[in-house]
Amino acid sequence: MNKLKTKSLLTSTQMILLYVIVAFCLVVGIRQPAFFSPATVITICRAGIFTMCFALCEMVVLISGGIDVSFPAIGCVAMYVPMYIINRVTPIDSALFAFGLAILIGLLFGLLNGFLVSILRLPPLIATLATSSIASGGVVTLLGTREFTTLPDSLQAIYNTNIITYTAPGTGFTYLLNVLFLVPVLACLGVAWMLRYTMLGRGLYAIGGDKNAARVAGFNVRRLQFFAYTFSGVLTGATAMMYTVLMHSSTTSALMGDEMIVIAACVIGGVRITGGHGGVLGVVLGVVLITLVQNNLNMLGIPTSWQTFVVGLIILLGTIITSWQAKRSSHGKA
Amino acid sequence: MADEVFLKLKGIKKSFGGVHALNGVDLEIRRGEIHCLAGENGCGKSTLIKAISGVHRVDEGEIWIEGKLCNKMNPIDAINKGIQVIYQDFAVFPNLTVAENIALNGEVKNKAKLVNWKEIHRVAAEAMAQVGAEIDPDVKLEQLSVANKQMVAICRAIINDAKFLILDEPTTALTAREVEKLWTVVRALKEKGIAVMIVNHKLDEIYQIADRLTILRNGAYVSSGPIHEYDQARFTRDMTGRDISQEKYLPKASEEEIFRVENLSLPGAFKDVSFSVHKGDVLGLTGLLGSGRGEIGEALFGIEPAQSGHIYLNGQEITIKNVADAIHNKIGYVPEDRLTEGLFMDRSILDNTIATSIRKYFHGIKLDKAAMEEATDRWIREIGVVTPSSKPAVRTLSGGNAQKVVISKWLNTDPKLFILNGPTVGVDVGAKSEIHAILRELAQKGIGIIVISDDLPELLQNCNKIVVMRDGRVAAVVDNSIEQKELSDLLMGRAE
Amino acid sequence: MKTTKTTPAVPALKKKGLKPDTHITVLLSMMAFVLLLMAVLKPGSYFTISNLRSMIFQFPEYGVLSFGMMICMIAGGIDLSLVGIMNLSGVAAALIITNMGGTNASIVLGCAVALVVGAICGALNGFIIASLSIPAMLVTLCSLQLYTGLALAITGGPAINNMPDAFKNIANGSIGPIPYVLFIFIAVALGMAFIMNCTVFGNEIYFLGSNARAARYSGINTLRVTVMTHMLSGILGGISGILITSHLNSAKSSNGSTYTLLTLLIIVLGGVHPDGGKGKVMGVTLSVLLLQLIANAFTIMRAPDTFKTFVNGCLLVAALILDVVLEKRAAKKAAKS
Repeated sequence: MNKLKTKSLLTSTQMILLYVIVAFCLVVGIRQPAFFSPATVITICRAGIFTMCFALCEMVVLISGGIDVSFPAIGCVAMYVPMYIINRVTPIDSALFAFGLAILIGLLFGLLNGFLVSILRLPPLIATLATSSIASGGVVTLLGTREFTTLPDSLQAIYNTNIITYTAPGTGFTYLLNVLFLVPVLACLGVAWMLRYTMLGRGLYAIGGDKNAARVAGFNVRRLQFFAYTFSGVLTGATAMMYTVLMHSSTTSALMGDEMIVIAACVIGGVRITGGHGGVLGVVLGVVLITLVQNNLNMLGIPTSWQTFVVGLIILLGTIITSWQAKRSSHGKA
Repeated sequence: MADEVFLKLKGIKKSFGGVHALNGVDLEIRRGEIHCLAGENGCGKSTLIKAISGVHRVDEGEIWIEGKLCNKMNPIDAINKGIQVIYQDFAVFPNLTVAENIALNGEVKNKAKLVNWKEIHRVAAEAMAQVGAEIDPDVKLEQLSVANKQMVAICRAIINDAKFLILDEPTTALTAREVEKLWTVVRALKEKGIAVMIVNHKLDEIYQIADRLTILRNGAYVSSGPIHEYDQARFTRDMTGRDISQEKYLPKASEEEIFRVENLSLPGAFKDVSFSVHKGDVLGLTGLLGSGRGEIGEALFGIEPAQSGHIYLNGQEITIKNVADAIHNKIGYVPEDRLTEGLFMDRSILDNTIATSIRKYFHGIKLDKAAMEEATDRWIREIGVVTPSSKPAVRTLSGGNAQKVVISKWLNTDPKLFILNGPTVGVDVGAKSEIHAILRELAQKGIGIIVISDDLPELLQNCNKIVVMRDGRVAAVVDNSIEQKELSDLLMGRAE
Repeated sequence: MKTTKTTPAVPALKKKGLKPDTHITVLLSMMAFVLLLMAVLKPGSYFTISNLRSMIFQFPEYGVLSFGMMICMIAGGIDLSLVGIMNLSGVAAALIITNMGGTNASIVLGCAVALVVGAICGALNGFIIASLSIPAMLVTLCSLQLYTGLALAITGGPAINNMPDAFKNIANGSIGPIPYVLFIFIAVALGMAFIMNCTVFGNEIYFLGSNARAARYSGINTLRVTVMTHMLSGILGGISGILITSHLNSAKSSNGSTYTLLTLLIIVLGGVHPDGGKGKVMGVTLSVLLLQLIANAFTIMRAPDTFKTFVNGCLLVAALILDVVLEKRAAKKAAKS
């Protein structure tokens, strides 16, 4: 019995991801030995901050049996409105205000998604698509399209706070890891704890597994669905504001198009699109893999214009592999 | 032990939109007894269960639980009174572990906010110990067999202080050994003073387990009593209201062979299967679940084709490697699960009837709609589907009428061999005999008919030849002069 | 067996299949509403020949794409990669035309290649969905990235411009007062109506979307039907690709980015049910026209494009709610009878 368990552990989604990540690093490292340095780790960590946060949002929604394609649009509104107010209406120099308003906006749109999916019972894909256009269409219509690149002092202060500073010995370049990196780290820990040790988390798995059984068991399906989308909205809002701080840029279209990467990271990480499966560890590995691929295609000699295609190919292969694995596991009968 | 009465129903009546589902039902369940509720499809069993468990309010009659009148229950009240129902689909979470499935409901009821995994494992272990189940608590439910899933559902039911457990047709998807295991568990529950009501219509299983039996027919109470007061004849008479002995199908013997299989094998399902169907035969194919009876049907239809052996249709050898081959060779198949495999519920009767034969209406450049309608109307008349026209969706039809549509679909393809898997499951008594009559007529016309079923009375009444499968091999080929008890023994392997 | 339990005399109305379809009624009334509203607000600019012509030049592009979306959804799936297929086909056509000197022969070849590219992309989608049993939403989300990426890679980044006049004429020219694209749209609409109603393939799509398992047990080759459905939708994507490239005189990987949401809105409004098995070409056609009337009204009223996106989002929600309400009412009626 134990041999079987060890075997299944070694071939689990997470382990396979680990193998692939290691293999990829080796391939890149062989071509470019400079890859094996703390600089790479810092760059990957920095690049993966947003993807990781968004992936957590998406994961929670996917586990509950839904899907959310509106988070880029919600994020854009959440980052744009506070900056618009600060720059065009009244200069409020408060990080609390910026983040607070962003989170509030995310919360409101999350509630909208929750309302559409759990009260009106609309298909999540289409419902969140609708929210996406309502959000992005609405904000641009009302507030126009500008780019805000100057941060108020309080936000600038955050930008200047780095937890790791590394200077590469050869090139003399300085690599900085911002304090905001702690946000996805803490969020991962928090979400992992919630999913494993709270009835709220188990409830999400329950409704993702079988909504009717969950209802019969006494779970409040509506409340759980609301929570999933609202949580996603709130974290999206916070992440969007982090984007503004770190990238020094707030526009109405910055995050658009990211849905695919994020969903792919989740699916590759073992989260099933049908719901009820998946965990934080897998998603972290999925995000690491995708971030590695996205940021190192240059090192592999793949020209920029081909990178979208290559990423798409990898995502498609990853999806096929995880789907095949999922089917295999639900066929073995004990 | 079993003297006090736990549940008493008197004169229960319930209608839905003018149709009487329950028309005067009495029932008495004593503490710690194993009680079987039997009746044909459409007799009101599920409505009764729903009334007892608080899902439906009854129109008339009294419900007494532990001496108190409880007519106005809702599902939570019923659970609080110790009534638990295990439905056929178990309502379990395939993506959660065994331990969670058992213990989670309890946690929800206690309004717990945090998850205490130790507690969950303890509760699960305790429940499994009580029923004697040995399942790895950390396995995800989707990886379990049906029997084990059912075991988990039972464990879940009893941790909620159940006093009365209702099992709705629990043996349908179990093999013989699993049924034995289930009875062991049920007896263990009885030892603990929990009353168990098992809804079942198979007499041999009822003999194995029941203390007492209640029979319903057409929504009304027929009879009740200790199991030893029922013999085969009384059982069938009370269930159907008829004596079956005169109605056995005895066609004229014919030499003309329609269909033959020789040494058909599919590793893991069946081995060396040989039998033949002559003109006028209605061949029964039976056996316990896992004996290969269903697998042969699906092999002949090309869903999971055989890997070796020979198949002869009207003297010619044919190969069946997929569904297209089967249809090309004029083989028709009415699947076991009508709702998910046989019908397009939202589409009209017309669409469902021509679904398989649609190509024959494609002339030149487009479909001949008029011909399609004419054919459908003809089948509706000939087979007797109760409907105002061919336009309504099949969803609006009763089980019997829907099954007739499935049959029409295949008859419209002019089959030479017609295989039906469980043709009268979920079909009311009236439609059941009509379908049997249709099959006999088709057999007389020279169409090979194979009926796969585990309903022994149905087989004995309608099939002149019965192939008994056991453990993947043909155990015997008998004619319908055999006694039901003997036939049942052959299935179980208790003959010698 | 010959017991007569039914009266086969079918009322003439039902036989003709002319029973009033609720979706069609709703669509027609909404069109009437918009026309009435514009008659009141801007009769001068809305109801002119030039405005009518400008509308006709616009809708076939996404109208054809809508039919592609429609058949995939009726089959029980969805195709989110259609815009990617559209752009990839357009890029392929533009590449051939510009590299072969812009002759008429090159235009014909370019268009043919666009259709072939669309067919291949669609068939690939369908094959992965059906043979590996992966949800269509996931596969096409991935393949959207794939096809868009391929288009990007081929163009190297910037768009391919400078199409020959003959090519530009496809989407921008007319015969007399009637734009060519109107004929193209009508041909496609009629073709789709024929396929869905009068062919075996079309009927099998409905069966597949209604119940895939039962379709298999009824002898329908589900793999073949899925692949062919997506292939046909890919071809429609190819046609759209030709139209949009010709219209904008530019082939790039980012054209038509709003079309995914727009076509989804159109088909849901037009009566196609997200679960599959339901939907009519007539409904989608009217829905296309309705959306064009609305879009044009916005333009005349000088509302920004983004407002259109906003309104489309709201309309999609409204359309879905309407679907739910109608279904509930139909279920109540069925339960009573």
